[in-house]
Amino acid sequence: MILDLHTHSDASEDSRAPVETYMKWLVRKRDLLPIDGIVLTEHRQWNPAADYRPLEDKYGLLILRGAEVETDYGHVLVYGVNDDMTRRFDFTNVRLSAQELIPAVAHMGGLAVPCHPGRPTIGLCEHYEHKPPIDGVVAVEALNGGSRRGENERVQHLIDHYGYHAVGGSDSHLVSFIGICATEFDADIRSIEDLVNTLQQGGYRPLDFRDRLKKDV
Amino acid sequence: MALDFDRSIIGSEFDRTVFAPVTKEAIEDYIAASGEPAANDMAAPPTFVVRLRGHRWMPENMPNLGRTGFDAGKDIAFGVPVRIGDVLTAVSTVHDIYEKTGRTGSMAFVVLRTVVTNQRDDEVAVIDQKMMFR
Repeated sequence: MILDLHTHSDASEDSRAPVETYMKWLVRKRDLLPIDGIVLTEHRQWNPAADYRPLEDKYGLLILRGAEVETDYGHVLVYGVNDDMTRRFDFTNVRLSAQELIPAVAHMGGLAVPCHPGRPTIGLCEHYEHKPPIDGVVAVEALNGGSRRGENERVQHLIDHYGYHAVGGSDSHLVSFIGICATEFDADIRSIEDLVNTLQQGGYRPLDFRDRLKKDV
Repeated sequence: MALDFDRSIIGSEFDRTVFAPVTKEAIEDYIAASGEPAANDMAAPPTFVVRLRGHRWMPENMPNLGRTGFDAGKDIAFGVPVRIGDVLTAVSTVHDIYEKTGRTGSMAFVVLRTVVTNQRDDEVAVIDQKMMFR
């Protein structure tokens, strides 16, 4: 099963991509992008009322939801967001403590994954150069579709040194970027609980579809 | 340090301007200057609304969010067409102020929303002007 674990729709202030247009694009590009679903990780927010089940039914793709929050160790994807988390943490705060957030999210039934770790300022690699490692990190986003040259390559050190699992995501803000990087899971994932459990256990790897898409141009 | 400002400014109106009736000449001038085609003989191109200038483009009590800033883009949702003779009213509010972090550090964004209506109170456009400060 292949999921794009890092996407932004027009619910994020810097994206113009409607979720339904993502669905249409993935259906249209099915031969090149064998994506089974996406996880919407809107910036600094969680909308408990959002319901994408009608789109799931219409397009036959899984649509899960998380959030991308900002911490003193860079940006972090939070999966399995619930009321306990939103009560304890203000997702709009761009200076959340990662040392506090990541273990707490796990304790409250979710999983937090540092994203684009190779980016300056907002990636884990730079912070690990002068701060202690974070307790409770299980996986990092080793492949990010929005990273610049060399930024994804910096992440391998984290994986080798700390034994983190690796995931991939497009970090799409535009329709044509959806699914360019993703994560392949050995397990079948049908819910956010499945995703959290699988991310904790392992059995997944990042996938890069960018070369395949270039050949299609 | 988190952004420190009086959040009551969000949602506050800082400008309301009623413009003179739209003339055929103003529409023709806009088409000539912008190259935007008109929808028909009576209606202006949708982007005509960007030529409107209110009395004030920022609130007087705007918090100091940094030493430098720049235009971070404009989103426009178009409503009914602007027609010759329309009397347009533009009402501007501070729609949002938020902070985010990026490769170069933290940034504060201000979203100024201008809602343009015509003499029938039909919505002509909603313009979100973003400014970035650091």
